[in-house]
Amino acid sequence: MSASMTSVHEFAKLARLAALVLFTLLAACGPAEVVVKGEFPPPTIEKLPLTIGVWYDPGFANHEFYDEAKTKQDSSWLVKSGQAQVQMWDTLLNGMFERVVPMAGRPGPGQMNPTVDAVFIPEVAELQYALPVQTNVKIYEIWIRYHLQLVTTGGDPIAEWSMPAYGKTPTAFLQSDQSAVNLAAVMALRDAGANFATSFTRVPGVQVWLQETLGSQQEVTL
Amino acid sequence: MITDSVRALLLGCLACMASGCVTSSVDQMVFNKPKQGIGNASVVILGRRHASDYDTEPDFVECVGEHIASGDDSIQVIGELEFINDFYPWFEPRTAPLQIADLERLMQNQPVVAERLASLNTQYMIWIDGSTIRNDSTGSMTCAIGPGGGGCFGFGTWSSDAKYEATIWDFSESAEVGRISTTATGQSYMPAVVIPIPIIAPVQGTACDGIGDQLLQFLSSQY
Repeated sequence: MSASMTSVHEFAKLARLAALVLFTLLAACGPAEVVVKGEFPPPTIEKLPLTIGVWYDPGFANHEFYDEAKTKQDSSWLVKSGQAQVQMWDTLLNGMFERVVPMAGRPGPGQMNPTVDAVFIPEVAELQYALPVQTNVKIYEIWIRYHLQLVTTGGDPIAEWSMPAYGKTPTAFLQSDQSAVNLAAVMALRDAGANFATSFTRVPGVQVWLQETLGSQQEVTL
Repeated sequence: MITDSVRALLLGCLACMASGCVTSSVDQMVFNKPKQGIGNASVVILGRRHASDYDTEPDFVECVGEHIASGDDSIQVIGELEFINDFYPWFEPRTAPLQIADLERLMQNQPVVAERLASLNTQYMIWIDGSTIRNDSTGSMTCAIGPGGGGCFGFGTWSSDAKYEATIWDFSESAEVGRISTTATGQSYMPAVVIPIPIIAPVQGTACDGIGDQLLQFLSSQY
């Protein structure tokens, strides 16, 4: 009885090991996957005395970028940046505005949302990456182009603009492609935050809205 | 006498063979050097990262900071990442001030930045711009593995060039008070007979020591 129990346990162990090896082998056939993770500091900036709503579309909050390999030598890439995007924008907006309120749904007629001065909606319009094997330059790069909107709670547009962001990291000894792409993505997100924080009040539509909302008390010179 | 010279020459050759040879030079132009050192004030050392084809390596910036702090423990060096995070988004590659006048303007427009800088009691901001690149690699190496064991055979060599410039900004004077530049070149070797033996030229380390020594002379009253 005892001997048969031992053999059953050993068989179970072997089966688990075989499954693990098989899973590892199958995973090696899949695309190189990067779930972007990083720390995003709050901005050191004079806060605007406004209550801003924020709406992250599911496509933005779960944003991922898939690039299929062009040749047999290349590998496909899957970059999941949604979680890091939300983390960065939440931290940034909370540091830029007096109050930030998450919206229950996309602003529009009939949509019940908390009352705010305006609702900010970020979207990733485009994401590109470059690896040293593709460019022969010893730098990993990520470009992101955002489509940003500021709307009323009723969904009427206040301002709409596009904003680029760029991040790069040099090749480093003992650094995998995945960790280098992650670092380049984190740098791109930090750059997005820096670009937004320093250019928000200069967007023409936003400038007009700020003057209407805050009057002459707010003279923003970033 | 001759024996001493031969011994010194042999020791030099041995040291060179063990680590690879490096030649370096340092140029400096500084003025308004603090006569009594920087006292209780702090120094921040930052790397320039706005060029398209290179980044000043964070570990080089850290090395210079550690060199200064270990040379004179009364000098408080603020860590680069800690400073950049504290002042986000004003010292990112896109937004970092290129001239001290830009920093002055930033402090006028953003009082919160000026207050935080004042609380750190930072007297000097040192910007380091440059990088170490590896080039001219030649040679070949073959490695094989079999049931009886494995090994490599061959020879490889490459050269590395380091070029850095440190620019010193003085907050009390609101002016640039010095520039220190260093270059270092070295040849590394990797012979392999069964086991590869890397003989690496410490190019970046030599550049770090060169620039660190000059900065210590500028900042410290002990040098």
